[in-house]
This record gives sequence, C-alpha cells and structure tokens, in this order.
Amino acid sequence: MTTFLPTARAAHRPPRLDAVPAWAWLALQAAALWTHWRWAAARVADGSDDPLGVVALAVLAWAVWRMAPGLRREPRPGWLAAALALSVASTAAVFVAPPLAGALLAALALASGLAAFVPPARPTLPLAGLAVLALPVISSLQFYAGHPLRVVTAEASAWLLRIGGWVVERSGTALQVDGHLVIVDAPCSGVQMAWMAYFCACTVAAITGVADGRWLRRLPWVGVIVLTGNIVRNSALVALQARGAVSEPLHQAIGLVVLAAVCAAVVMVTRGDRDAQA
Amino acid sequence: MFLFRHPLRPLTHLGRVLLCMALALLGALLMLVSPPAHADDSDAPKAESPYFFVDSNDPSTDRLPLKSTSVDVRIAGVIADVTVTQHYRNEGQRAIEARYVFPGSTQAAVHAMTVRIGDRLLTARIKEKQQARIEYDAAKKEGRTSALLEQHRPNVFQMNVANILPGDEVAVELRYTELLTPHDARYGFVFPTVVGPRYNSPQGAAAAEKWVATPYLRSGAPSPEGFDIKVALETPLPIKEIASPSHEIGIDGMGTRAVRVALKPSDSPADNREFILQYRLAGDRIESGLMLYRGDDENFFLAMVEPPKAVPARQITPRDYIFVVDISGSMHGYPLDTAKVLLQHLIGSLRPSDTFNVMLFSGSNRMLSPHSVPATGANINQALHTIREMGGSGSTEIVPALKRIAGLPKAPDVSRTVIVVTDGYVTVENEVFQLVRQNLDRSNVFAFGIGTSVNRHLIEGIARAGQGEAFIVTKPEEAQAQAERLRRMIDSPVLTQVKARFDGIDVYDVEPAQLPDVLGGRPVVIYGKWRGDAIQAAGAQLVVEGRSAEGAWRSEVAADAGEHPAAAALRHLWARQRIAMLSDQEALEGGSAQKAPITELGLKYSLLTQYTSFIAVDRIVRNPNPALAPTVDTPSPLPEGVSPLAIGAEVPSTPEPSAWLALLVVAGILVATLVARRDRR
Repeated sequence: MTTFLPTARAAHRPPRLDAVPAWAWLALQAAALWTHWRWAAARVADGSDDPLGVVALAVLAWAVWRMAPGLRREPRPGWLAAALALSVASTAAVFVAPPLAGALLAALALASGLAAFVPPARPTLPLAGLAVLALPVISSLQFYAGHPLRVVTAEASAWLLRIGGWVVERSGTALQVDGHLVIVDAPCSGVQMAWMAYFCACTVAAITGVADGRWLRRLPWVGVIVLTGNIVRNSALVALQARGAVSEPLHQAIGLVVLAAVCAAVVMVTRGDRDAQA
Repeated sequence: MFLFRHPLRPLTHLGRVLLCMALALLGALLMLVSPPAHADDSDAPKAESPYFFVDSNDPSTDRLPLKSTSVDVRIAGVIADVTVTQHYRNEGQRAIEARYVFPGSTQAAVHAMTVRIGDRLLTARIKEKQQARIEYDAAKKEGRTSALLEQHRPNVFQMNVANILPGDEVAVELRYTELLTPHDARYGFVFPTVVGPRYNSPQGAAAAEKWVATPYLRSGAPSPEGFDIKVALETPLPIKEIASPSHEIGIDGMGTRAVRVALKPSDSPADNREFILQYRLAGDRIESGLMLYRGDDENFFLAMVEPPKAVPARQITPRDYIFVVDISGSMHGYPLDTAKVLLQHLIGSLRPSDTFNVMLFSGSNRMLSPHSVPATGANINQALHTIREMGGSGSTEIVPALKRIAGLPKAPDVSRTVIVVTDGYVTVENEVFQLVRQNLDRSNVFAFGIGTSVNRHLIEGIARAGQGEAFIVTKPEEAQAQAERLRRMIDSPVLTQVKARFDGIDVYDVEPAQLPDVLGGRPVVIYGKWRGDAIQAAGAQLVVEGRSAEGAWRSEVAADAGEHPAAAALRHLWARQRIAMLSDQEALEGGSAQKAPITELGLKYSLLTQYTSFIAVDRIVRNPNPALAPTVDTPSPLPEGVSPLAIGAEVPSTPEPSAWLALLVVAGILVATLVARRDRR
C-alpha cells in the first residue's frame, strides 16, 4: 500500500503514527483486552487447572521475539480488520458469554493483530493455535468433551481387549474385565494428551515454517492420532489392571511412552518439508 | 459398466483428508450406536447393597432412635430362654418410623413379642407375612403406633416400629428359645449382635431384597446404641469352667449349679461382635436323657444321647482335599489373617498320601494349580506362600466358585473333602445349599466361618447340605484347635447307620426322620411327639443303635423322672425343628414350595418364620400427620475386624501421567526435532 504524503500545512507535522513500531500496536491491543488476561491469570492461580498454558504462552512469546526484526512496517488491512472485529466481539462477550468464550475471542483477536504484522511467507495459524492453547482451557475441555471421549475410549478399549481374549463388559465408562472393575474416569480421558499433541503441532509448525493451508490440512490427523494413542494407553492399562494391581510408576511410564509416540507421530505429520526456509 | 469406461478420478489431497475424516466419523458413530451388554447404567441389573451411615444435620429428625438393647438369658439345662428388649426413643421433633435389621441365633424359635409404649402394653399376634405387612402399612397410614417383626433369613430379622412420636419411649420385647447342643462336652451359647454387610450379587435371587441396604457405622466411630446382656444358668451338674472368648464377663457363683454372668463395663463397644459363652459341666459329662413334656393337646419329647468316644481309626484312607477360600473385600485384614493361620494348620497337617488343591475366589475365582497335587512339603510350602501374599478385595461370588468346584473331575475311588472358608457375607444362601446338596453329594463339605460376626446360617447350612460339620473361628488363636477337630473328625467318623427306637410310648412326627452320621463330639438329638398315659411315660425308654469304629454300638436312655422346668419350650423347639427341615427342603426345590406347611406351623405354634410375622397395633391414633413421618434406618456397627472394604473400595482407574512429566517428554521431542533439522541443514 503506498502512502500519500499530503503537501499541505499538515505536512510539517510528521506522520508519527507510521513510525510507531509494530510491537507497540500489539501491546496497545493487548492492553485493551486486559480484562480477559486478568480472568486467565486468576484461573491459573486458583489451582483449578494445570498451568500448562503458561508454557504455550512462553513458546508464543519466543516465536514472536524471533521474528520481531522482520515484522512488517505496514500491516495487512484484512487482518487488521479481523483483529478489530474480534476485539469488539470479545469485549461484547464480557457481558453475554462465559469468560472462556470472551478470552478465546480475545486470544484470536491478538493473533489476528499479530498476523497483520507477520513477515510474508511465515506461518500465522500456528501462532493463533498457541495463543488459544495459552488460555486455561483444559478444565473446560474436560468438562465438555471429557465424558464423550471417555465413552469412546472405553468402548474402543473393550473391543480391543475382547480381540485379545479377555471377557469385557462396558457399563457407562466403567469396564468389567474378568470380574475386576476398572473405571475410565476424568483423568483418563486423554484431554491432556490432546493438549500436548496440539501444542506439538503448533510449535513444530511455528519453528519449521509450514505453509498455513498445508498445516490446516494436516490438523485433523492430530486428532485421530491422539484418540488412537489414548485408546492404546487405556487398553494396556486396563489389561494390566485386570491381572492385578499396577504400581504407580508403571502407570506413569506407560502413559509417557504412549505420549512420546503420539507426539513423535504428530511432529512427523505436521513438520515442514525438508527444504523449508528458516 | 459405466465405471469401467469412466474410471473415477483419483482424489485430491483435500479429498483424501475429507474421506478419512468421514470414515473416522462413521467408525465413531458405529461404536457408539452398537449395543453392548450393559451400554447404559440404567440397563444394568441393580442390587441393593449396604452403605455407610451419614448423619444428616437436620436436627428435627432423630436418625438414631434405637438407644439400647438389653438381653436377658435364662439357661435351664440345655434349653435357653432369651428375652431381647429394644429401647427406642425419639429425641427429635418429628414423628418417625424406625427400621432395624438385626441378627438372631440360627436355632432361635421366636415365639412372643410385646410392645410397651409409656405405661401401656401391646401383645403382638402372629400373622401370615403379607397380611401382617398390609395391616402394619394401614396402621402406619392412620397414625397408630405399631410394630412389625419380620424374618428375612433364619438368622436375620427386621423390626419396624411406626409412628414413634417425639418424646416417645417404646420398648419392644421379643422372646425366643433355643436348644444348646454341646460339642466335645463343651456347651456354647451364642448371641449375635450385628448382621454383617452382605454382598448382594446382581444375578442372585435376592438382588432386590431391601433389607440388604442397611447403613453401617465406620469402625472406630463410637456406638450410639447401648448393649447389655445377662445370663442366668441352672444346670443339673455343677459348672466346672465358664468363659467368654468374645467379651469380658463377670461370673457369680462359680462351681455351683446356679451361675450368673454379666458383661463387665468397658469403653469399647460391646455390640460389634457376637457374644459367645462357653462352659463345661463337672466330669465333662453332658446332659443326656429323654425329656418328656405333657401339653394340653399334644405331648412333646426331646432326646439327647451322648455318642461313643472317638477312637483313632486303624486305617487311614488317602483323601483329596479342595480348599475354597473367600478373599473378598469383607475378608480384608483381620479375617483374612485368621484364615491364613487356619489354612496353615489345615494344609500343613495333610499327609503325603493326600492330594489337595486351593481355590481363591472373590469376584472371579482361580485354582492354585490345574489339578490336585500331592501334599508333599514342597507343594504345601508353595501353596502357603501364595496364600500368605493374598489381600482381600472385590465382591463375593460364591455360587460360580462352587459351581466350578462341582465340575472338577474326581477319580471314583478317591474320597474328596471340600472345605469352604468364608465369613458368609452373601445373600444367596439357598442357592448355595442347593448347589452343595445336588452337586457335591459325593464329597463331604465342611464349612469354616471366619470372623467375629459370621453368617452362621450359611456356614451351618453348607455343612448340613454337604453332610459335614460347621466350624467357627473368631480369632487366629482358635485356628489350631479347630483344625485339629476337623482332622480328628475326618480320620475317625464316630457313628454311622444310626437308628432310634422308643419303648413304652408311641411316638410320631419325629425330627429328624433319618438320623445323620455322627461325625464326632456331637450328641444325637431327636425331637418328636408322643402318645401315652403317665404310667407308660414313667417307663419309657429310648434305644439308639449304630455302628462305631469298634463295631455295633447301643445306648439305652430312660425317661427323665419329673418334669423339666423348661419343658414347656419343647413345643416351640419341635416346631422350629420341623420348620428348619421344611426350609431345607424348600431351598433344595427352590421358590416357595413349602409355604403352606411352614405357614401353618408358624400360625399354630406362634413362631416367627419366613412366611409369618409378629404384629402389634395400638388402638389409639396418636400421630396427626402420619404421611410426614420419615423412615429412619437404624445403623449397625461394622463387625469387629471387618474393614471398610466390605462396603466399598476404591475402584482402580487409568489416569494419564502427571502434567510436568508429560511436558518434559514433549519438550524432549521438540528439542530432538530442532536438533535433527539443524543437523540436516
């Protein structure tokens, strides 16, 4: 976009707005959405959630800092308009919607603002993903998506175990295996693993520079990999539990091994091509 | 044809992704829609089960209306006359209905009940069970104070008292008689105080029985209900020794023929374990004889004959032993420790010529080895080692376990002995008896009850159905003696082919019709009715014949001179024995096959049975708002030694790893990716 310098009296006043650096605009926008950050901070501090969002925020900050020298001087108007619309929406949501919805809109608004300044051919959507993951979403995900995930996981585990020769009956989210009752309860739902997997996907895309469209096409696979991983983890633990009590370290070890496999698979699926630019 | 001419274009990348998503969605939909066995908790069969008492903070309703139970026992010879008085007091502001599930002795003949409200006395009548329930519900709805006593098992009763007004003191008194039979010349009187928490199998016939859902207080919680018991003994011979292995007692009149026993006051609750009183008469004699009672319309007799002394057999035949051990949640802790000591003695005393196998059961069951192994030192040590590692958890599915035992192959020339070790906290007693009688008739089944408040109905019933003996072990110190007793019994059966003949009087309705083998230490007990005049009665004689280890055996017993002070109880005792025989028959046939004869006996002799109940109804309507009176289930203390696992346990789950460890793993993978990229570039 070319800038027209007026040559009238106003010419003596230098157009200072243009000289304002990009990060200042972003900081201003962030400051305007301060109520949402206050809510998020309170949620993180009150202990109702694992503060994993802090890590996502740190990664996002690092990614922005890395590309700070290359930020555009002239923001893209389309993204700016989106940032404005989302900011207005998130402010309106304070009055009509739950705080998490408002915070989500605010995060997307900030991400849109960032996208307006991001240098050309750099990924923008993964940054939006990181911004969303930086919010305290895990508890809410557990609440809304936890039970369906657990039912699907329990049912798939029951099928797997039956193929393996066990006698399994599912009742709700509880499995009766060989006379032993094992429950797939809230901590088993795979929501944490899903967060980790999407975090991996966003971080890898931000680091390796995957094109937005390509990344978006690969994203559904992340969900499939997570669900499969949780089913495998759950089946293994239920089978072991049916044989006898399982020690806590073994529980953790199996969970971590499956998590490592899932994240490795996600990284392989979403990373950029061999010759992607830095 | 169209497809061959115009083959489909290969999908674009987006098309492939969409196809995979569609397939995944379809798969998820199929999984959710397909109906598994119990897809929904509302479809799964539910069973009533015990729970922990939770005191509500609503002060207007008194949740603990039973304030105390006092027991007065009078033992005359071999007949015990017991009066149990339950004191209910409503200290709240609302009228309530109180329900209390409590135990009784398996041999008790409950024959009377009275209700005292303030200064008025109501005498209960015996009625058919459904009619009594209807009358009680009607009285409850009208606002009259009424009391209903029902039997759920021969050793489980339920008292319902309706419309107890605020400030009311209601004392319900029930009376029962019991015959005390000595074992090895030792008499024992048992008064059970608490029904243990029963596992109610959803597949059992008793799944819907409401009495199983009784509340329990946590162990260690102070018992809000007082308990007191007093025993007055009158014996024909002086008492040589008397003691209680369960409670601390004070004895008055030791060494005489009239002894008084009372509980010593103590801080710990007295009502969380059965009260056991054991005594021996001078010379280790047992009271044997033929007791005659002349009634108004019918005459009754009771004969008790001392068996010959047990003689060690000259030949020991090799046997196959199968031990069936309960490792459910209610056995966890003290009862299982007692069972382990018992098994150590039982298995440890097997001979190398015997073979054995052990089954451990809770929700599922497993045998320690695929078939019976010889009782060599190595095998015994290995079995005991495995048993020592066991902890108790899970439900008590005893019927599948016994079915599996019944299906075990058995060599035709080997005698098999099945020994069941359990606390008996189940509701499927009749099914177990049927299984034992029908499928294990070729083996001898012995039952060991472990714990301080064992379900004696199950233990004694298994022994009766399997033609074995019942043993009760309340603590590890008793295990060795009981194991010894079993060994002696198996090695030397005392009396077989027992027959009884009466001279001088004409007898009929004799119980038992067929005398069982005497296994050791137990006298021959015969009830019945007789006809004859006084002279014939004076010269009456009982002749018992059988085969003992030393050949033919014969004993003659003359009728007791004079009337026994407690002889009037023979009416109830005979009827109770006949009802027990009919109930065993009913358990075998299933359902309510013997309902008519049992009801008739219960009504005629005024006895509480599974088809007759006692009901007392006040004629005054005292509660103006009967519909507002809540029903309060009186909590029972958890039996001593039983862990909270009997009622509920933490169910294992499959949680994800902790967040920070997971983050570390993810960070590791991301760093590895970065490093790999850097290396590649």
